[in-house]
Amino acid sequence: MKTLDQTSSLFWLLVSLSVFFESIRLGIGTPQNPGMGFLTFGASGILGVLSIILFLGASFQKGEAKALPLFAGKLWKRILFVLVLLITYSRVMPILGYLISTFLLMILLFWVLERKRTGWILISSVLTTLLTYLIFSKWLSCQFPDGLFGF
Amino acid sequence: MLIGTLVGVLPGIGPAGAMALLLPATFRFPVTSTLIMLAGIYYGVQYGGSTTSILVNIPGEASSVITCLDGYQMARQGRAGPALGIAAWGSFIAGTIANIGLMLVAVPLARAALSFGPPEYFALMCTGLIIVTYLAQGSILKALMMALVGIILGSIGLDVITGLPRFTFGINELTDGVGIIPLVMGLFGISEIFFNLERSLEREIYRTRLRNLWPSLKDWAQAKWAIARGSIIGFFLGILPGGGAVISPFVAYAVEKKVAKNPERFGKGAIEGVASPESANNAAAGGSLIPLLSLGIPPNPIMAIFFSALIIHGIQPGPLLIKQNPDLFWGLVASLYLGNVLLLLLNLPLIGMWVKVLEIPYKLLFPLILLFCLIGAYSMHNVVFDLYVMIFFGVMGWIMRKFGYEAAPLILAYVLGPMLEQALRQSLLISQGSFMIFISRPISGIALVFAFLLLLSNLIPYFKKRRKQYEEFKE
Repeated sequence: MKTLDQTSSLFWLLVSLSVFFESIRLGIGTPQNPGMGFLTFGASGILGVLSIILFLGASFQKGEAKALPLFAGKLWKRILFVLVLLITYSRVMPILGYLISTFLLMILLFWVLERKRTGWILISSVLTTLLTYLIFSKWLSCQFPDGLFGF
Repeated sequence: MLIGTLVGVLPGIGPAGAMALLLPATFRFPVTSTLIMLAGIYYGVQYGGSTTSILVNIPGEASSVITCLDGYQMARQGRAGPALGIAAWGSFIAGTIANIGLMLVAVPLARAALSFGPPEYFALMCTGLIIVTYLAQGSILKALMMALVGIILGSIGLDVITGLPRFTFGINELTDGVGIIPLVMGLFGISEIFFNLERSLEREIYRTRLRNLWPSLKDWAQAKWAIARGSIIGFFLGILPGGGAVISPFVAYAVEKKVAKNPERFGKGAIEGVASPESANNAAAGGSLIPLLSLGIPPNPIMAIFFSALIIHGIQPGPLLIKQNPDLFWGLVASLYLGNVLLLLLNLPLIGMWVKVLEIPYKLLFPLILLFCLIGAYSMHNVVFDLYVMIFFGVMGWIMRKFGYEAAPLILAYVLGPMLEQALRQSLLISQGSFMIFISRPISGIALVFAFLLLLSNLIPYFKKRRKQYEEFKE
């Protein structure tokens, strides 16, 4: 945990410093008349102090010095794949519309853990897309984008 | 309620994620129906969570973790039926006691809260946040840091007093702030999926014939006081800011073990070890509605979603809520009674179905959960930006989990942040810049001193360790 704590504390220290200086830019005001950055100035200041305490605590901690494997094994590639899919879906949905983009997304998502049964994947993807469309768009009146093809 | 039970049964999406997912679907419902639905999910989760704990030894929800200890052992001894039965009956009794408590406490508390000013609200919110961080499962320091990050995230958007944008980085969509639905979906839903995708997803269900769902007289005799104690502990811990359905089962279990004549039975299939925590989590679910409905302060992340639902429907949570919307309050109370009965009537006969649900492979479930998260985040404002926000917080939540940071303090602080800021700035305006206003007023003073002592108490183990080291050195 030691290296993980050191890394994360440095990250939060960076975040706190950014917010701290932005709060000053926004104006912290005075106690009599607190400004827009008053609370975030205090919150980021305390966050910064706590990050330093965490960093020092981790640095002086005895014992395990190596980082725990953050991406153990090969399965993290699945996550990367799903992440790319989600970002692509968000980008493509307004262009292709809900039905087409969701159908493609579901094929690929089902494929992640079930690669052999193509027929099963296709049927599940069609059913999922149509059912969610009926429930959310027709029944609950959610407004999905129509896309280039009008559906 | 069935959705709630389903969510409770299935490990992978918690009550916060499920509520956030279904919140956009409630926009066309009246506010009372929305609250009833959310409360149904919350209660249902508490009922359903025990099924996986008892049959699979995997808690469906955080609030059912402790039930695994004795519930699974009972299942292994061929007593899954009485374990599931006493969990359901205990939940029913505790839920009813909590409803009575809600009726008795909420209205007078709301009346008393009318005399609260900004300093009292500020102090109560601070205390709630400190308690949440104090009760964190991991490092308290990290939980505190998460609460501060939540406050910072909550300040993104328009300033509560001047109405000017801040921390928006020139992105128009951030003017309204970070949406709670994408935030919760990301931190609880997407991150959980990522976490599960990394692991082997096989789970083994303990196959046993489910019979004798009605506990025997001996079971009742052993469990009756455990149910009573669990209900009372759960209810009061639920009211406390920062408490809720997660902590109360642990406390109830510890108390039960302490008062037991044969504590060595615990962990080996003691029925009290199932009855007490399952009663406590349901009672806490009811109790935690009190600070929200009478003070307008959500005491835990689940209630933060209730809070958001009220705001979305144009209802301002606070001491005037019950007075101005009696139909909402009493409608909710009535539905909780009815829901409790329905959950008992539906869940016991349907336990066989929930066991079948447990057998659905994750490879089928995870694409569906992901799609529901995407739909839920998008349908809030019908903007793609919310999907990016959800994905961002999904990745952040997954990484945070690996680094040992919890999402619960962040969510609660995110919701409380704007109220906290308003109360702080108003208090300082009233006192003309004197921070003594928080100490000189009795309620805020007591609350802040309590929060400070709680924070200080974290240092006790450190000093004990140092003292031990010093004594060892001296020897």
